[in-house]
Amino acid sequence: MADVRNSHLIAIDRRTTLRWIAAAVASGQLAACGEKFGNEDWLAPPQITAKGYGKDPTLLEPVVPWPLTMTKEELAATAALGDLILPGEADAPMPSQVGVPAFIDEWVSAPYPDQQKDRALIIPGLAWLDREAMKRGRERFSHVTLEVRTAIADEIAFKDKVGPGLEKPAEFFARMRSLTMGAFFTTPEGWKDIGYPGNTPMTGPYPGPTQEALDHIKGVIEGKGLKFALPETGRL
Amino acid sequence: MPDTYDAVIVGSGAGGAMSAYVLTKAGASVLMLEAGRDYNPDEAPMLNLAKDAPLRGQGTPDKEFGYYDATVDGGWEIPDEPYTTAEGSEFMWWRSRMLGGRTNHWARNSFRMGPYDFKPFTRDGLGVDWPVSYEDIAPWYDRMEKLVGVYGNNLGLENHPNASPGVLHTPPKFRVPELFVKSGGDALGIPVVPARRAILTRDMDNRKACYWASPCGRGCAIGAAFQTTTSLIPWAKTTGKLTIQTGVMVYEVMLGADGKASGVRYIDKASGEHREATGRVVVLAASTGETARILLNSKPNGRSEGLANSSGQLGRNLMDTVGSSLSAYFPDLEGRPKYNEDGAMGLHAYIPFWDYKNVAAGKSNCTRGYHMEIGGGFGEPGVGGFGGYDGYGPNLRGQVKQRYGARFGFTQRGEMIPNAKSFCEIDPEKKDKYGIPVLRFSFGWSEHEHNQVTHFQNAVKALVDKLGGTITSEIRAPVDAISKGGEIIHEVGTARMGADAKSSVTNSFGKTWDVDNLYLTDGSIFASKAHKNPTITIMALAMRASDSIATRLRTGEL
Repeated sequence: MADVRNSHLIAIDRRTTLRWIAAAVASGQLAACGEKFGNEDWLAPPQITAKGYGKDPTLLEPVVPWPLTMTKEELAATAALGDLILPGEADAPMPSQVGVPAFIDEWVSAPYPDQQKDRALIIPGLAWLDREAMKRGRERFSHVTLEVRTAIADEIAFKDKVGPGLEKPAEFFARMRSLTMGAFFTTPEGWKDIGYPGNTPMTGPYPGPTQEALDHIKGVIEGKGLKFALPETGRL
Repeated sequence: MPDTYDAVIVGSGAGGAMSAYVLTKAGASVLMLEAGRDYNPDEAPMLNLAKDAPLRGQGTPDKEFGYYDATVDGGWEIPDEPYTTAEGSEFMWWRSRMLGGRTNHWARNSFRMGPYDFKPFTRDGLGVDWPVSYEDIAPWYDRMEKLVGVYGNNLGLENHPNASPGVLHTPPKFRVPELFVKSGGDALGIPVVPARRAILTRDMDNRKACYWASPCGRGCAIGAAFQTTTSLIPWAKTTGKLTIQTGVMVYEVMLGADGKASGVRYIDKASGEHREATGRVVVLAASTGETARILLNSKPNGRSEGLANSSGQLGRNLMDTVGSSLSAYFPDLEGRPKYNEDGAMGLHAYIPFWDYKNVAAGKSNCTRGYHMEIGGGFGEPGVGGFGGYDGYGPNLRGQVKQRYGARFGFTQRGEMIPNAKSFCEIDPEKKDKYGIPVLRFSFGWSEHEHNQVTHFQNAVKALVDKLGGTITSEIRAPVDAISKGGEIIHEVGTARMGADAKSSVTNSFGKTWDVDNLYLTDGSIFASKAHKNPTITIMALAMRASDSIATRLRTGEL
């Protein structure tokens, strides 16, 4: 099974590599780029033609009406990248365990302008990740070792240390980072991780800050030489 | 449906619903015509998780304020119902096509206009005065607020009037960011005081007190956050005097041979059929834009200037609130103790305008006032809220936790002075799907609004500096930092009230000078656009106007 998948992978890779060579030759940058083929071959994926949910969707029972479009390989790369961005910890699951790859699929498959713009960045970006992994580890990104993934990420993840010619992959990484984080921290597991305790109805007056929170802010305020004061109650 | 009604009301938002409530309570039979569909906040997704919405609820061209926003069939763009802007102008027009209109999703900020706000021309020679003073309207604010339910308190601040005793609901406690900003404001002489919002903090009639969760913009099924679909409209229905027609676009007021309005013409959107509704009085509360559009499109006896426009002021004096914002980061708040900071899902505190003395003395570059709203803290994480990070791995998670609750924003909401560049008119060519000529907007700010943005930016810089923070958003030149016309969704003024028929469209009761039984009870009648959010003033004026209409109906004057 693994062999079959790999041969399929290589076939795709060869085809995209050929397209990349053609693009690089056409732009006259092949020689200058050396081994780092970042910004070239950023081929636009097919446009989404599905319909959106319209101006009056059912709010109480939401449905995503558009078909998902990511391939198994793209989903695998998304999962591996997401888990590298926000690795699991003792109290926090990995993004791939709480449906983040499926969410990114939903995102890049959506028929709206912002999402289509992201699609044009993300789909080629995932292909780029796989090509880099192939070059460095002879497997797709989802199958190479953590060391190889880290080596790839280190060249594109830090805004002051982006490798030469890798601006486009860096842009892709930054977008995947914010989407992965946004998707993760909007799950109940993510709420717990960040410490958001809200969306909880209560009866009676709003309790306001806890004593601990009040003591803390009082300390901060007084530490600045300012005066801590609760608001004037005024009259009702 | 009877053939004719005492009153035909166009619109079901703040103005239309208040008119319907007052008139039906007074025994009048009312037909309410609404362009959108029927709506009941039982369909509000109050506690639904962003996780369960498409794209985590992120706004799209279909639902611009997010999937769960209450707005139905509306937004900045409505398919089939275009509007245009004149060359060189930008204007954004938010419309709701649903029973209750924009009251279903508004921020519920409810600041009374003050004595200065009703007499701006007298104070600085700009714009026009209202034909009423604050003292004239104060009792109506009280009556309206008692009915609606507004939290806040009375501090006797300059140009920020108190409510009468017993009117207001207890405001919720300040949260940590609000206490923090208050400490800086106290040191600088900038007031940070309890906000006023149309949200119940105790049970009232059929409505429940706020339960401190669920964004108010989704609609409030428990009735805590005021909207006409949980209050005025159902209350008016219980009189048995209210008939509601939804899905109908009114396009014209009919004028009888006696010079009085006999009713309106409308299109049933589903069938495309043209129909007429008749009544002893016609009340337009279709929104500032739509009310102007209906009147401009009504051309009795071929009069090209439209109906009730002998002053030539119809469509002119279009104003919106001045908006801009800055966000700031406060390292001292990193890692602060967590607690539930949702509260009333909006302002508990705000900064009312405080610099009147300098303005009056000519020592300020600010001509008219603004208020500041404070937002942020331990809010629900949003899918779009994670830009600006760097790197990856465990350190990234650490950064997120460190920053959570240490960033918040300051928003300016300021007064615009009417100017000749800002108006709406009928587009000479374009029509909507129903064949109704559409509005074309022209809009421009003046130096007064730009200077006010500078004043705001300087005040925020001083506050943030005092609190040891850093402004994280770019401080842009006012001309770039200022909102687009219409963007704050406070558009008013296209049929302003005034003291005489030469310079205004209506009298202080919203009665058009030209047609004795034609009333306007929405934001179109505003003579100025104070920095205070317009909804409660629309409702107070609508209540006053409708009380007058009821009296005239009863005496047979109408």
